[in-house]
Amino acid sequence: MKLELLDLTKRYGNFTALDHVNITFTEGIYGILGANGAGKSTMMNLLTDNIPRTEGQILFDGTDILKLGRDFRRVLGYMPQQQGCYEQMTAQTFLSYMADLKAIPKKQAREEIERLLEVTNLSDARHKKLGGYSGGMKQRVLLAQALLGDPKVVILDEPTAGLDPKERIRIRSFISSLSRGRIILLATHIVSDIESISDQIFMMKKGRVVGMDRPDRLIERVAQEVRESVVPGHFSLEDVYLYYLGE
Amino acid sequence: MRELGRIFSRRRLALGLILILLLNGFLFAREQVKNDYGLDVSLPAGGTIILNGEYSVTQETVDAGSAYRRYLQWIRRVRDMPAADAEAYLAGQEEALSSALFDSGEPAEGDGEARLDYVAVRNLLAQTEYLTGYGQWLENIQRNKENLLTFSIFSDPKSFSGRNILKTAEEFEKLRGVELTLGADGAVESFMSFRLTDYFLLLALLLVALSFLEERKAGLWSVVHAAPNGRLRLAIRRTLILLGTSVVGVLLLCGTDLALGFSLYGGVGDLDRAVQSVEALGRLPMLTTVGGFLIRFLLLRVAAAFLVSLLLWLMLTAINNVKYTVIVAAGVLAVEYSLYTFLPVQSAFNILKYFNLFTYISLSDLYTNYLNIDIFTYPLGIRSISQLALVPLCLLLTAICVYVHCRKKPAAGRDLLGRVAYRLNSVTDRLLRRLHLMGMELHKTLWIQKGVVIAALLVYVVLGLNYTVSIPIMSSAEQAARQYTAQFAGEITEGTFDRMDAEQAELDAVIAARDQAQADFDNGLIEYPLLDKYSREAAAAQTKSEGLSTVRARAQELRRRGAAEGFTPWLVDETPFESVYGAYAQANQQRAALVAVLALTLLLAGSMAYERQSGMTYLLRSTARGRGALILRKLLLAAAMTTLVWAAVYGMEVYTLLSEFDIPASAPAKNLSMLTEFPLNCPVALWLALLYAYRWLSLFCCAVMVLFLSDCARRLEAATVAASAAMLIPSVLYAYMDIGVFRPLSVVLPVAAMPLCLDAKGAVTGAALAAAALLAAASAAAACLFARAGGTQARDFLPGKAPQGFSGK
Repeated sequence: MKLELLDLTKRYGNFTALDHVNITFTEGIYGILGANGAGKSTMMNLLTDNIPRTEGQILFDGTDILKLGRDFRRVLGYMPQQQGCYEQMTAQTFLSYMADLKAIPKKQAREEIERLLEVTNLSDARHKKLGGYSGGMKQRVLLAQALLGDPKVVILDEPTAGLDPKERIRIRSFISSLSRGRIILLATHIVSDIESISDQIFMMKKGRVVGMDRPDRLIERVAQEVRESVVPGHFSLEDVYLYYLGE
Repeated sequence: MRELGRIFSRRRLALGLILILLLNGFLFAREQVKNDYGLDVSLPAGGTIILNGEYSVTQETVDAGSAYRRYLQWIRRVRDMPAADAEAYLAGQEEALSSALFDSGEPAEGDGEARLDYVAVRNLLAQTEYLTGYGQWLENIQRNKENLLTFSIFSDPKSFSGRNILKTAEEFEKLRGVELTLGADGAVESFMSFRLTDYFLLLALLLVALSFLEERKAGLWSVVHAAPNGRLRLAIRRTLILLGTSVVGVLLLCGTDLALGFSLYGGVGDLDRAVQSVEALGRLPMLTTVGGFLIRFLLLRVAAAFLVSLLLWLMLTAINNVKYTVIVAAGVLAVEYSLYTFLPVQSAFNILKYFNLFTYISLSDLYTNYLNIDIFTYPLGIRSISQLALVPLCLLLTAICVYVHCRKKPAAGRDLLGRVAYRLNSVTDRLLRRLHLMGMELHKTLWIQKGVVIAALLVYVVLGLNYTVSIPIMSSAEQAARQYTAQFAGEITEGTFDRMDAEQAELDAVIAARDQAQADFDNGLIEYPLLDKYSREAAAAQTKSEGLSTVRARAQELRRRGAAEGFTPWLVDETPFESVYGAYAQANQQRAALVAVLALTLLLAGSMAYERQSGMTYLLRSTARGRGALILRKLLLAAAMTTLVWAAVYGMEVYTLLSEFDIPASAPAKNLSMLTEFPLNCPVALWLALLYAYRWLSLFCCAVMVLFLSDCARRLEAATVAASAAMLIPSVLYAYMDIGVFRPLSVVLPVAAMPLCLDAKGAVTGAALAAAALLAAASAAAACLFARAGGTQARDFLPGKAPQGFSGK
C-alpha cells in the first residue's frame, strides 16, 4: 500500500500554499508538523479531494485518487480540523449516519460504533446531542467517525486539539495501535502528539517540506548541527521544530 | 444602554418586531373588511344560482364599505335626537324601506341605494334598541335582586348566589341614570375584539425575553455571570428593557389598531360619551367616558404586558438548558391557554381559568364580560381582582426575576429535563440507526430543520384555500341552458336530439297555451288572473326554450367537431370544470400554486445550506457516498417533498372536485369548451391525470432549483431568503401586481398550469414551452449540484472562507 504525492502544488492566486511537494507514504504513522499557515491543512484537503490541486499528482497504489474517486474514499478516514458536525444529532445517530455515508453495512456499523464510542470514552454520552458536547468531546466524535469502516488511509487534522492530557494520551495510544496495515497522516503543531507515535515526521514551512525523517534521527541530526549550543541529553523534538520552523 | 443596544441591534429581532407591527396592522384592517365593518349586510331576499344542475339559495348582501358610509350618514341624521325618538324614527324608516324593496317582488331602478339605506337603518336601529333598553336592563338587575332574594334557594344572604346577586346589584347601582348616546362605535368595538393584537404583543415580548438567552446560546453565560455588572445591574437593566418594550409595544400595536379603527370607522368621534354607549362595554360597572376608559385600558395593558413579560423571562431563566427552557415555556403557555379557552365557566376549577396568564394577555375580556367567581362563598369580581393584583404581582415578579437572574448558576449540574431528554434520545437513536441515507435526509429536513412545522402550516393553509368559485349566471336563459346541459349530459346520440325535441314540444305547447288564453281573455272567456298565470308560464317557457336552443346548438357543434376530429361527442356540464379550472377560478389556481411553491421553498431551502452551516461539507465529501450518492438522495428528497406538497395542495383540489361534483370521467376531454384545442383525444380522467402530473413536474423542477439556491448559501437564513425571493417575488409581481415583464420568471404559472392553456382553448404550446424552460433550468441546477459535489470548488476559499491553516496572505 502506497500513497504518493508527486510535485503536488496548490496556489491561491499569487500565494503558494503547497509548493512542489514530493512524499511517499507507506504503512505507518506520519506526523506532519508545521506552524499555522504552513500548508498542512491544504495538503489534507488535497488528499481528500476537497480542493482542486494546481499541479502534481496524488497516487494511491499507482492510480490517481481522482481517477479512483469513490474507491479511494471507501478506504479513507478523514477528521477535519474544524469541529463541524450536526449539533442536533446525538453521537450515536451521527456515527450511524456517517457509517451510511461510508457504505458500511448496518450490522458491522453497529459493532464498530459500539467499539469506537468505548475507545473514545463517549459511551455514557452517546445519546446526548452534539450541540451539548464540549470541544474535546466533539473532537473525539469526529475521530470516531474517521475510524469507522476500518479505513486504510487515515487523515487526522489536529486530532488532539482541545483534549485534556488524559484524553490526549488515551487517543494517542489508540492511534498508535492502529498503525498496522494503515497509512496514518497526523497533522498538528503540537509536537508531543507525534513525538512518541510517529514512524516518520515531516516538517513543513511555507508550503514546502523542510525536513523529514524518523523522530530520533531528526533529533540526532539537528543536535549535531547545533551541538555547541545545546546541553547534551536535553535535546527534544520541540527543539527540532524550533530549528526548522522557528523564525 | 449597551444591553438595550445589543438586544435591539440584532437584525433578526428588529426585523421580527417590524414584521409583527406591519402584520398586526394589515390583519386588523383585513379583519374589519372581512367582518363587513361590523355591519350585518345581508338582505332578507335570497338569490339563486345554478350549480351542477341544481338550484341553491344564497343570502344576498350589499357592499359593506358603501353600507358603512351610508350608516355614518344616518348616524349624523339621528345622533342629536333622544335615543327613544331616534329608535321610533329609524323603525319607521326601516319599515318603509323594507316594504319598498321587498314587497313588490320585482327589482326597480334605484334599489341599490335603497338597499344600502335599508342595511344602514337596520343596523342603526339595533344599536338604538340597545341604548334605549339599557336603562331597563339596569332596572332588571335591581329588580332581580329583590325578586331573587325572596326565593328560598337564593334567600340565604350568606350563600355565594345571594352574595353574588347583591354584589352585582350594588356594582351596577351606580350606573343608574347614566346617559347613553349614539355614535359610531366601530373603532372601539374592533379595538376591544381584535384578539390577534394580544398574541402579537405576547410574541414581541417573547422575542425580547428570548434575546436574554443569547449569552447562554453563545456559551458566554459564565463570562457574563462572572462580570461585575453581570448580575444585579444586568437584571435591573433587563427589567427596565421589558418595561420599555411593554410600553412601546402596547403603544405601537394598540395605537395602530386604534388609529386604523378611527380611520376606517369615520373618525375619533365623541369620546366624552358614557363608556356603556359602546355595546361591547355595556357590562362594565364603571362610571367613565369612552376616552377615559381607553386611557385607563392602555395603562392597564402596559402593566399587564410587563407582568406577562416578567413571567416569560422567569420561565426562560429558571432552567439552565436553553432548549428545554423554550420547550417548558411553550408547554406552560399551551397549558395556560387550554385552561383559559376550554375550561367551562361553571367548572369547579374555574379559578385556573381566570387566574391565568392569558387573563392578562386577553385583557379586553375583563372589560367586555362581567363575572364574579366563588371564593369560599364570597363573590369576587375577576376584573377587580386582576386589576388590583397587577401592580403587586409586577413588583413581586420583578423581585423574583432579579433574584433568579442573580442566583442562577451557569455551571449547575445536569437537570432533570436533561436526563429525560437523554432517555428520549436513546429511544429515537434506536429508530434512527435503522434509517438509511434517504431516511436520514428526511429526518434532517422534517425534524432537524423543522419541516414538520412547515408541513403542519401547509395543511392548515390548504384547509383554508378556496378551490371553487361560483360561476356568475348572466341571464335566465343561460341558467336554463346550464340546467338543460345537466339534464341531457352524456354521449350525444340521436336519442339526445329526440329528447330535446320532446322538451321543445312541451315548451311550445306552454307558449301556445298563452296565445290561446289571450284569445279567450279577449273574448271574455277567462279572467285576468288566469291569463296572468298563463303569461308567466309562457315567459318561463320562452326562457327555457332559448336555453334549450343554446344546448341544441352546442350539441350539434360537438357532433360536427367530433366527426371531424375523431372524438365521441358528449354533452358535458362544464360548471365543475369552470368552477375549479376555468377563467373565473384563476385567482384560486394561482393562490394554490403560490402556496405550493412557498411551502416547497421553505421545506427545501435549508437542505444544502444546512450542511455548509454545520461545517460538514468537507467531511461529507471525504466519504464514499458523500458526493454523487448524497446529491442523488437530496434530489429524491426534493421529489418526496414535492409529492408531499403536491398531495396536500392538489389532493385537496381533487377531493373538492370529486366530492362536490359528478365528473364525467370517461367523456372525451375535447368536448369541454376550455379544451377544444387540446392536442390529445383522451377522456377527461386522463386529461386530469396529465394536468396533475404536469403540476408535479413543475413543482419538482422548482424544488431542484431551490436545492441549487440552497447550495449557493452558507447559512439557513440566507438560503431561505434567497430561495423565497427567487421563486416567489416574480410570481407575486406578475400575479398580484400585473407586471407583465415578470411573466417569464413566474414559476407559479407552470405550477398552476391552467393559466397557460386557457387562453389557447387547451392548446399546450405555452405549457410545453414553460415545461421545457423549467426542465432546462432544473437540469442545469441538478448538473451544477453534481458538479459542485464532485469535489473541488475554489469558491470555498474566497475571502472570508479560507480554510484553517491557510494564512490567506
